[in-house]
Amino acid sequence: MKYVRQVATVAMKDVRAELRTKEAINASLAFALMILLLFSYTFDPEQEMMRQVSGGLLWIVFAFAGTLTLNRSFARELPNDCLDALIAAPIPGSALFLGKCFASFVLVLAVELVSLPVFGIFYRVHWTPQFPALFGVLLLGTWALTIIGTIFSALTVNIKLREVMLPMLTYPILMPALMSAMRLTTSLVNGQPIPEDDFAWLKMLIGFDVVFTAVSLALVETVLVG
Amino acid sequence: MLAALFDSSVWTAMAAAAVAAVASVLFLRSRNFLYDSLALAATEIGLLLLACGIVAGAIGSRLAGGLWWTWDSRLTTALIGFLLYAPYLMLRRAIEEPTRRAASAAVVCIFALFDIPLIALTVNWWLARRTVSLPVSAGWTILPVSLLGAGCAWIRLRQEQQRRAQDAERRTAQEI
Amino acid sequence: MSAVAVEGVWKYYGDYPALRDIRLEAAEGTCLALIGRNGAGKTTLLRAIAGFSSAQRGKIKIFGKEPREAETRRQMGFIGHGISVYDELSALENLTLFGKLYGLPNPKKSANEWLERTGLERVRDGLVREFSRGMRQRLAVARAFLHEPTVLLLDEPFTALDDRAIAVLQRLLREGLAAGKTIVMSTHQLREALELATHVALLTRGQLAFHGARTQEMADDPGYVYARYGEGA
Repeated sequence: MKYVRQVATVAMKDVRAELRTKEAINASLAFALMILLLFSYTFDPEQEMMRQVSGGLLWIVFAFAGTLTLNRSFARELPNDCLDALIAAPIPGSALFLGKCFASFVLVLAVELVSLPVFGIFYRVHWTPQFPALFGVLLLGTWALTIIGTIFSALTVNIKLREVMLPMLTYPILMPALMSAMRLTTSLVNGQPIPEDDFAWLKMLIGFDVVFTAVSLALVETVLVG
Repeated sequence: MLAALFDSSVWTAMAAAAVAAVASVLFLRSRNFLYDSLALAATEIGLLLLACGIVAGAIGSRLAGGLWWTWDSRLTTALIGFLLYAPYLMLRRAIEEPTRRAASAAVVCIFALFDIPLIALTVNWWLARRTVSLPVSAGWTILPVSLLGAGCAWIRLRQEQQRRAQDAERRTAQEI
Repeated sequence: MSAVAVEGVWKYYGDYPALRDIRLEAAEGTCLALIGRNGAGKTTLLRAIAGFSSAQRGKIKIFGKEPREAETRRQMGFIGHGISVYDELSALENLTLFGKLYGLPNPKKSANEWLERTGLERVRDGLVREFSRGMRQRLAVARAFLHEPTVLLLDEPFTALDDRAIAVLQRLLREGLAAGKTIVMSTHQLREALELATHVALLTRGQLAFHGARTQEMADDPGYVYARYGEGA
């Protein structure tokens, strides 16, 4: 239970700090809405094609906007050398890491849940019928985004060109998860349940989450202490 | 012929990725920089082979059907594989301090290796409708290609070791 | 068993040795002043003792245990170049956070106590980003002492402190020494440090040029150690 409390302490600290300044969350939300707006110029909402690309489009928005938040995850520890104090504290590196993951997860999910209705309005898709399943896919996909984004945020925290390196590292690795999430979301966001054939994608997404959570936890001490 | 070359280069690149990942794990355990140089050499040669393979594949599809890119699942997987490892080199360039650089690069290598099968599966499902097409038409070309790859990697490894030794001398000299 | 033991430590950046065969000890209840020019390796050594980086050769032991063990970290207080507190949180929130991370039984109470001891009780709910420099530094000191560490590792703690903060820190360090704490402090401010120090170590280019008890000559003339044992001596 002590471990859980430690994770919670770190997570609460991050969320509280972010809500005070709102730097990342404002940028992330504005960015998401901008992309949604820009893309609406490209597609005619009446067309069938819109329905087919909707899932992909949504996850592109989530991935790009989410990176803005994830970049801040460890970068917020740099001013005043706070990262030193966190590493020196007697909490396991994995607790620090998971605390930050959960905080970022909540923040990114919040931006996604605000973008979803806007998406529905601009693009005239009916996402409400399948919302429980859609929410499940959101959770799984956002966790993939968060876990990879946070571990690489820790890895790149001290290097120059951090804002460039983080997306370059995360997007290729995220491809299987993004593709799976896009596929699953396309049918769900149009009010259709996931077809039988597509359950493999769900397994892929879950598998991705499990594998990379394990790999991240195994390597977290190396990433933090070097 | 081009298809065979493409397949050989893909297999060799995958072998290189495995070597790089193992070298990375060994580096993290022993902190012996030989393993870091090995991981670097393997990744560079793997990327080079992959690039050649992708070009060969594109030329092949152009000659065969008039299109440069047909979204063939193996070619697409190779391309994503390239994008997966290219940041490894960028990351190394972005970190000055050798120990930190080697450790960070090792972590990236390990993550990338775990991703390869997932990417292969996903791309195959997406493009080829649930059949996994392995690059099996490599044939005899695999031998010269892999030997060439191993040879280049060996040369690169020696080069990297020399560069490190020179760096160390330079730093010691500067301080005197 | 000494409080801090550095046994034959070599630290490399790549192939370049930043620390060469460092052997020193600090007994419990002593204060070791680590002096040396910029780039001599003081910060590298302190950070290695604190467990922020590992030595490639040799061992570092704090009360016989590894620096990275949880129990050791609980007993260790560190002040680095930064203040290591969050600008977006209040003074009280910052100290309560660290209290929780260090597993204190009553984090809020300890936080309030230390705010009083460093003279910050009136700004406990103020955000750190609005603090003056001296206030920020006093909060950094409060953070380091909050969990009652038995070993204190301080990297140039007196640099750029205002008078009030210097006074607070000196008082706390004296009280700590009297209570049996061990202090290892790197410094440029020889005068303030040598007042408190019981032992002195001089680092030159990553090597230990001198390690021994502080003498009267050193206290009288801070430049003495450099002149006697440093380069060009």
